[in-house]
Amino acid sequence: MNLDAAHRRHVRALYIAGDLLQKLFRQASRGPHRRNEVIQAMDSIGIGSLPIISIATGFTGLVMTSEIAWHMDFALSNVSMIPGFTGQFVLRELGIAVPALLIVSKVGASMTAELASMKITEQLDAFRLLKIDVVSYHIFPRWVACIVSTVCLTMISIAITLFIAMFTAVTKYHFNSEEYLNTLAQFISSMDLFCALTKAAVFGMIIPPISSAYGLICGGGAQGVGQATTDAVVTATLAVITLDFVLTAIFTALL
Amino acid sequence: MSIRFEDVHKAFGTKKVLDGVSFEAGKGEVLFILGKSGMGKSVTLKHIIGVLEPDRGRIHVDQFEVSALFKGEARNLLPKVRQRCGMVFQHPALLDSLNNFENIAFGLKTPQYAEKIGRTLGADEVDRIVREKLALVHLDPEVLTLYPNEVSYGVQKRISMARTLAPEPEYLLFDEPTTGLDPLSTSSINSLISELSRKLNVTSIIVSHDMACALSIADRILFLDQGKVVLIAHPREVVKSELPLVKEFFEETLSLLPPGWSPA
Amino acid sequence: MKTLMNMVAAVLQEFGGAVIFFIKIIRTWRSSGGYRRPVIQQIAEVSTRTMSTVIFAGVFVGAILVLQFDLMLRRFDAQALLGGLNTSATIREVGPLIISFLLAGKVGAYTTAELANMRVTEQIDAIESLGTDPIRYLIVPRFFGVILSSIILLAIGLSVSILGALLVAQTMSGMNLHQYLASIPRFAGPWTLFEGLVRSTIFSTIVATISTYKGFTASGGARGVGRAVTESAIYINIYIVFGNAISSPLLEWTHDFTFFMIGVIGRALP
Repeated sequence: MNLDAAHRRHVRALYIAGDLLQKLFRQASRGPHRRNEVIQAMDSIGIGSLPIISIATGFTGLVMTSEIAWHMDFALSNVSMIPGFTGQFVLRELGIAVPALLIVSKVGASMTAELASMKITEQLDAFRLLKIDVVSYHIFPRWVACIVSTVCLTMISIAITLFIAMFTAVTKYHFNSEEYLNTLAQFISSMDLFCALTKAAVFGMIIPPISSAYGLICGGGAQGVGQATTDAVVTATLAVITLDFVLTAIFTALL
Repeated sequence: MSIRFEDVHKAFGTKKVLDGVSFEAGKGEVLFILGKSGMGKSVTLKHIIGVLEPDRGRIHVDQFEVSALFKGEARNLLPKVRQRCGMVFQHPALLDSLNNFENIAFGLKTPQYAEKIGRTLGADEVDRIVREKLALVHLDPEVLTLYPNEVSYGVQKRISMARTLAPEPEYLLFDEPTTGLDPLSTSSINSLISELSRKLNVTSIIVSHDMACALSIADRILFLDQGKVVLIAHPREVVKSELPLVKEFFEETLSLLPPGWSPA
Repeated sequence: MKTLMNMVAAVLQEFGGAVIFFIKIIRTWRSSGGYRRPVIQQIAEVSTRTMSTVIFAGVFVGAILVLQFDLMLRRFDAQALLGGLNTSATIREVGPLIISFLLAGKVGAYTTAELANMRVTEQIDAIESLGTDPIRYLIVPRFFGVILSSIILLAIGLSVSILGALLVAQTMSGMNLHQYLASIPRFAGPWTLFEGLVRSTIFSTIVATISTYKGFTASGGARGVGRAVTESAIYINIYIVFGNAISSPLLEWTHDFTFFMIGVIGRALP
């Protein structure tokens, strides 16, 4: 019986998330665009996550690229391929998935917690009485900011990770940096960057509606807030992983 | 046998919550602590059971100096102090994962309780004590098999009181016992507190905003403001007091009292 | 500059608090017993609640990686190595990291939410006032429950991701099963499993420590619970990233050293 209640909650949240996404797109095409709020949200979401995301992706990149380099070296016994492999892996997967997953817990979770607190302290009801549309005023600016920030943060983290990949290649496998960049240029194209940023934009687009939906359906008291936040983090993480697969499959077929 | 505060200071960060609080609550006394929200009332209670450590000053519970029990080996004495003090929290604070019976029996299964009575209780004795305490708070045994979230908030409060009473504490500490209750439950909880304090002959310290209740059942009332004790007196003298805070409380209360009412 | 200093101070304070809490848990555990039953109960609870999510995520993690590696290897006509390369990379590195990110939410945030709720509704104070040590009663069983079940869940997630990779390799890249499996032993051996296990243990300990710490020290009503859960999720992820970065060179040195010693002993034997 408990399980059923949990399932019903998830179905309801996903339904609301879909509904929110539709409303958000409609507002994006028709306005109002609320530029001031969007800029404010960008500051808190984008600039606020910048240090954490860049440090975390930097460290992940350090480990991952040396790992991939080691594997490729071992597989093909050919060190000259390392720039291509690490570069491709960063640009297609590592530089995108890691920041997206961090944004889920940094940005998504606090969005849920904020809305859930508003819900249980009846602020959302007050908004409704004052005829303030919470989607238009509260969620839309954060959604736009999250899309832009995710794309920007992904670009930044790709740059950081690529630099670290180069650092690994130079220190561990005795490339010189010019040689590294020349080889790298042969392997990656603007198409790769386009795919990466498309992925980032899609992730940025789906995290806020999922997080907000769990906040909006949050039920009673402190327990409800905790539950909503946990659920939102898990569902958004799963959504990112699943969409990552789908997009990777599509891009693989296209390339 | 008493609880004694001597010039206790406590600050959270830069915010002074207790600023030289001194008072004493003697055996069998019912002491009310009144004050506005955020004036250090609950903090005072948490100092008695040693959940918070004072920055300065001394707190005695019977022969123990609670304020000296925070370092090294002395820490092992803290559970003994807590054993003497039964605290009823603002929330019912029942453990969600245990049913009502297990919640009431929780304090009976601790090593300190075994030490106090000199043996461990058998299952039938635990059952007897739980039912006895349940009768004290006027509840039927049917609630015992239910879980806290399956009974009303008022019933949860009573079960929480039964849980506190189970290990037979010498002091009863109530932290805003009627917050969040409807007027009917409030008056029934208030009369329960008054009944228990008299019947069990324990010392009770009650933190509250409810002056009407305080006037009718307290032996003495203590007013806290800005972390300082502004008045500690018998209800009869409280009514006559000219202090602005006390007058404010009293006038608020007067509007709720029936005409012709006079303090106990 | 001043804000940067404050940030560093906050991070250090946060980290120090977690370390002290960890030591407190271990001390309480060492000085008391009778944990077997509550820990097993916790493991059962956490694993059953999380199993389906981990399996779902595991399949996709494996699938994503195999697609990426396939694309890279295709350019060098080295698809024969796909199985081994993917399996090794998944078990040693990428798998534990991404599945741990998921566990940060599903197990870590859940534990934090549960404890924070108990904290703000004064349940933890009540336990303490009745003379029971809340760390002993609540935290230690959860701590070990979370560690052990996270290791189990990571093992399951990684196995499933290998299966998922196999499935995708066969259907989407047209690898044949035999070829795929044959290349695995070239890359992955007992050492790979050992590395995966060590990483999983480190990540699990991080999840357990931070989630119980954040839950136990929560304050301030429903809003406080939300804040505790959010912070728990993000801090767990960050500590995992650092743990990952620190464990990598350590594991590499251990690997080199172990095989060096095996070599020395091997030569010493007749």
